Amino acid sequence: MEVVRIENLTKVYGSGKTAVTAVREANLVARSGELVAILGPSGSGKTTLLTSIAGIVEPTSGRVTIGGVTTYDNGWKVRDLSRFRREHLGFIFQSHNLIDFLTARENVLMALQIGGVVGSAAVRIAQELLDYLGVGERQGHLPEQLSGGEQQRVAIARALANSPQVILADEPTAALDTERGESVMALFRGIAREKSSAVICVTHDSRMIEGFDHIYQVKDGLVSDGP
Amino acid sequence: MNLAVRDLRRRPGRFALSCVGVGLLLTLVLSYSGIYNGFVYEALALINRSGADLWVVQRDTRGPFAEQSRLPQDVRYRMAIVPGVAAASPYIFYLIQRPWQGRSLRLAVVGYDLHSGLGGPTEIVSGRGIAQAHYELVADVKLNLPIGTKLHLGLNDYTVVGLTHGVMSSSGDPVAFFSLADAQEIQFVKDNWAIRDLRERASAAYRNALPTQPTLSQQLASKFADNPDLHTANAILIRLDPGVDSRAVAEQIGRWKYFTAYTTEQQSQLMLAGTVERGRRQTLLFRIFLTLAATVIIAQIIYTMTLEKLKPIALLKLIGAPNRTIVGLVLQESLALGLIAYVVALLVGSWTYDKWPRLVLVQTTDKLILLVMVVGICILASAMGVRRALRVEPGAALTG
Repeated sequence: MEVVRIENLTKVYGSGKTAVTAVREANLVARSGELVAILGPSGSGKTTLLTSIAGIVEPTSGRVTIGGVTTYDNGWKVRDLSRFRREHLGFIFQSHNLIDFLTARENVLMALQIGGVVGSAAVRIAQELLDYLGVGERQGHLPEQLSGGEQQRVAIARALANSPQVILADEPTAALDTERGESVMALFRGIAREKSSAVICVTHDSRMIEGFDHIYQVKDGLVSDGP
Repeated sequence: MNLAVRDLRRRPGRFALSCVGVGLLLTLVLSYSGIYNGFVYEALALINRSGADLWVVQRDTRGPFAEQSRLPQDVRYRMAIVPGVAAASPYIFYLIQRPWQGRSLRLAVVGYDLHSGLGGPTEIVSGRGIAQAHYELVADVKLNLPIGTKLHLGLNDYTVVGLTHGVMSSSGDPVAFFSLADAQEIQFVKDNWAIRDLRERASAAYRNALPTQPTLSQQLASKFADNPDLHTANAILIRLDPGVDSRAVAEQIGRWKYFTAYTTEQQSQLMLAGTVERGRRQTLLFRIFLTLAATVIIAQIIYTMTLEKLKPIALLKLIGAPNRTIVGLVLQESLALGLIAYVVALLVGSWTYDKWPRLVLVQTTDKLILLVMVVGICILASAMGVRRALRVEPGAALTG
């Protein structure tokens, strides 16, 4: 089932002579259970594409449809983007991605609370997710007490907390060594299959593209299908 | 899950220090309310405890506290026959400051008639009241004169026989009660050197006036110098019969040529309008400035705390946290700071107020008003932090 559809998406920063086109007429499709890579060098526009999908950055033109709901259509955007993100999207970033004053478990619980899941149900889900990701024993630790790999696993648990249709990951392996990076990618593949979520993963690391169902290349704002 | 509690838990020491700092500031705000109440209490302490219904003073003066008033002691007998008057009693009030045991002893002397008891001590917390016409006094505990202490004043020694608590003059000086005769003697009786000096001056004056009668001039000079007029009071206190209209009696006495009579209520108004009003305005200004300072400081602390959390706030927004979660985080931290500081202020106040040089009388109303003010200040102070937090873009979570 198609859960993400991007049509002719363009994002221009600035105006006039200083205008910079970060993404140009991009088209992208992701289906549930699919692992999609957006590959490209630094500054190519891949993060802009990802944040445009998430509604963090407002596109200049084009259309974004997630889970059958159009969130942006040539200047029009869905009213409550926060709520939409809360209900449909999960986010994972390369670093600094946990709330530093909350423990691993509380970070996951916070996402659940925002999604309206509270009490013993929330505690149970958080425990299950942390165990699933292999950091159940580290749940009482603050982010600063966790290794980079453990932090990333907690961030994944948080992204999965509300069973989102789409998980957006921005350079999730950039701060990890090769072994841990591969481990995280293996997790993504597992999540995509088991949770039936579409995982869209931005990376500039071509070593990590193995196992992706679909790869989009971004270069100078132009998105092309295939490696 | 309460985000504010978890955030504050991370750096408890720094937050505690902020609470103590703001708490000390609030202690000052509360203290100034207490100082003002203390002014009022002290200004009215002697009036309220005198037991008098009317105060008769020298005509057109605001005596005996707000202004000097002198009138003959025997006026009491003329007052006693006014219809409605149950008792009339002379009253003396003045301040003295004497060196005593290596310190400066400043006290307000009250002289009263032992028979009527009007104007005398009403509550003795230790020891007894004055039981003999001379050489005894009842002192307030603030004077630090234990029972049995002998105090040398003028030509005589006076023994402390009893203690009162919280009896002050409007200037905040503790009161010592003496018999009327002793209070007059302490004020007017001269020592030998002063008498000799006055004799010389009087002799010179009489010799000039009566150059042909040296013996007479010498006798007159001695009489003048050796017999001061002791029988002067500052006011006559009057207690009325039950049911008598004090204003009507005051008006009746006021028609006499030489006296002005105030009801106790008027006497209180004189004190409040005279000595306390300026103090009230002064403390009010202090309170306004301190409240503003507290608001600015809390705002600054909350704003700084918010700036330190911009990344987590952006993250919260990114994962879909509604604005009320962000506002709640900032506002709850602000309220926690204010309320803990408020408790600190109450505790510091209760530990220190009795050590302040002047009476600090904090009432429950003052505490409640401060509580409301603190809540208001915290809401106001958090506005800047809330505004900043709401302006954070979720995308800020993506940057390093």
